[in-house]
Amino acid sequence: MATTLAMFTDTSLCIGCRACQVACKQWNELGAEAPEWTGTYQNHSHFTDETFRLVRFVEQPQPNGNLAWLLMSDVCKHCAQAGCLDACPTGAIYRTEFGTVNINQDVCNGCRYCVSSCPFGVVAFNEDTGTAKKCTFCNDRIHNGLGPACAKACPTDSIQFGARETLVTKAQKRVETLKAMGFKDAQLYGADSNGFLGGLNAFFLLLSKPSTYNLPENPRLPQRNVVVDSLLSIVSAVAVGVGAVFAFRDRGKGDGDA
Amino acid sequence: MLKTPHWEMMVVWYFFLGGIAGGAYFTAAIADNFGGSRDRRVAQIGYLLSLPLVAICGVLLILDLGVPLRFLNMLRSFKFWDPMSIGAWALGVFGLFTLVSSVLSFSSSESTIALRRKIGLVGILFGFFLASYTGVLLSATALPFWSDARLMGALFLASGASTGMAAISLIMFATGAGSGDGWGRVKKADRFSMIFELVVLAVFLALLGSAARPILSGQFAALFWGGLVVVGLLIPLVLEFVGHRMRAVGAVSAVLVLVGGFILRYVVVMSIQS
Repeated sequence: MATTLAMFTDTSLCIGCRACQVACKQWNELGAEAPEWTGTYQNHSHFTDETFRLVRFVEQPQPNGNLAWLLMSDVCKHCAQAGCLDACPTGAIYRTEFGTVNINQDVCNGCRYCVSSCPFGVVAFNEDTGTAKKCTFCNDRIHNGLGPACAKACPTDSIQFGARETLVTKAQKRVETLKAMGFKDAQLYGADSNGFLGGLNAFFLLLSKPSTYNLPENPRLPQRNVVVDSLLSIVSAVAVGVGAVFAFRDRGKGDGDA
Repeated sequence: MLKTPHWEMMVVWYFFLGGIAGGAYFTAAIADNFGGSRDRRVAQIGYLLSLPLVAICGVLLILDLGVPLRFLNMLRSFKFWDPMSIGAWALGVFGLFTLVSSVLSFSSSESTIALRRKIGLVGILFGFFLASYTGVLLSATALPFWSDARLMGALFLASGASTGMAAISLIMFATGAGSGDGWGRVKKADRFSMIFELVVLAVFLALLGSAARPILSGQFAALFWGGLVVVGLLIPLVLEFVGHRMRAVGAVSAVLVLVGGFILRYVVVMSIQS
C-alpha cells in the first residue's frame, strides 16, 4: 500500500475566504446551488451533493457583547473505519491505496444506506444521477501527484496535504505552539489513529471543543450495533417460535375450531 | 447535521410486507411440521401468501434505488456485517424457499410432504431474517433514535409474526371456513405473538428512554399511541379474548393487527426523517 495520505485542516489559520469551497466546486465540476440564509456568513448550512468542502462560521459571544468567529473548513473525514464504506452493499464505496474513501459513481445504485451511516452527515444523495456523492479527496489529482484542489487553493495553509504521519507530527507541534500562545482549548480532532474510528485521514486542529463546531465528541461506527441487535432478534425469534409450536401442538378440545 | 436517507413510502411498504411474508412463512412451516394434516390449510395459505409478498418486496426494493437498473450490483459483494448487503441476498434466497414451498404445498404424496416440511424448517430462518433484519438495518446507522434502539429488530420480528398470522387468518376468513382448518390455532399463535410484541414494545421504549422522543412527542405521537398501541395491539387483543369463538370478530382483529403493523413501520421510518 502506498503511503497513507491526509489532509490537515488547521482551523486557527482559516480566514473564511472560502477559496477551498470554490476550488472544490470548480475542480470537481459541482453545480451552483441556491444560497440559503443561515443567520451567519456560512453558506450552505450542510454538506450537499454539490458541496464537498464547507467553511463553517461559528459565532462565539464575547464578554464585551460582540461576536467572534471560529472558522472551520469542513470536509469528508475519510475515516480509517468508515461507516459509509461498511454500509455500502454494492462495493461502490472503496478505500484507495492512499487510505482515502471514494464512491465509484459507475457502481453505486443509490440505496442511500451510506447517507444514514455517516457519523458526520457528509454523504449526500444526488437526485439527478441517482447516486451518493461526497468528497473524493480529489482522487484524480492525488493519482497524478497533486494535492486536493482545496489544499492547493488555501492561501493561509489552513488546509495542508501530505503523508499522514508527517502531518500528524506537524499538527501536534502546532497544538503546543497555540497552547503556549494562550489558546488553552486548542486540540486535534481525529489525528489519533488509536482514537475514534481508527483516526481520520482528514483531521483537524480545533480551537474549542468539537461540539462547538457541531462535531460529535465521540463518533462511533454504526455497524457496532449489528451483533447485539441481531442476537436480540434471534431471542425474539425463539420466543415467537416456541409460542407458535405450542399453539399448533396443543391438542385441546378444538379451541374455537368449530 | 446528520443526514437521513430519504427512505419513504416504498421502504415503509417493503418493511411491512417483508414482515408479513416472513411471519406467514414461519407460521406455515410451524403448522406444517407441528400441526400435522389438520393444519394443512394454514400451511398452504402461509406458503402461498409469502411467495407474492416476497416478489412485491423485491420490486419495491428495486424501484426505491436511485438507479434501479443497477440492482444486481447488490450481489457484487457479500458483507456479513452489513444488513443492507445480507438483506439483499437473504431476500433472494427466501424468495426461492417461498417458491419451492408453495409448489410443494399442492402435493399430497408422503415423500413430498416430508421434503416440504424439512424445507420449511430451513426456510423459517430466512423468513425470520426478512422480518427482523430491516430493524437491525435501521439500528446500524448513525442516526439518533434508530441507532439507540437495541430492540428494533426484535420488535420488527414480533410484529412480522403477528401480522403474518393475522394475514393468514384473514385469508382463511375470506375464503370460507372449513371444520378443523386450523383457524383456532393460528389465532392462538397470533394472540401469543401480540402479547409478546406488546412486551417487546414496552422494553423497547424503556431502553430508549428520551431517545424515543421522535415517536413519543410531536406529530407522530398520536399515531404511535393511538394507531399502533391502542388500535393495532390493545383493541385486537381484547377482541380476541372476548370474542375469539366468532370468526367475524377474529377477522376484525386481524385487520387491526395489520393496520398496527403498518403504522409501526411508518412511524419508525418517517418520524426522524420529517
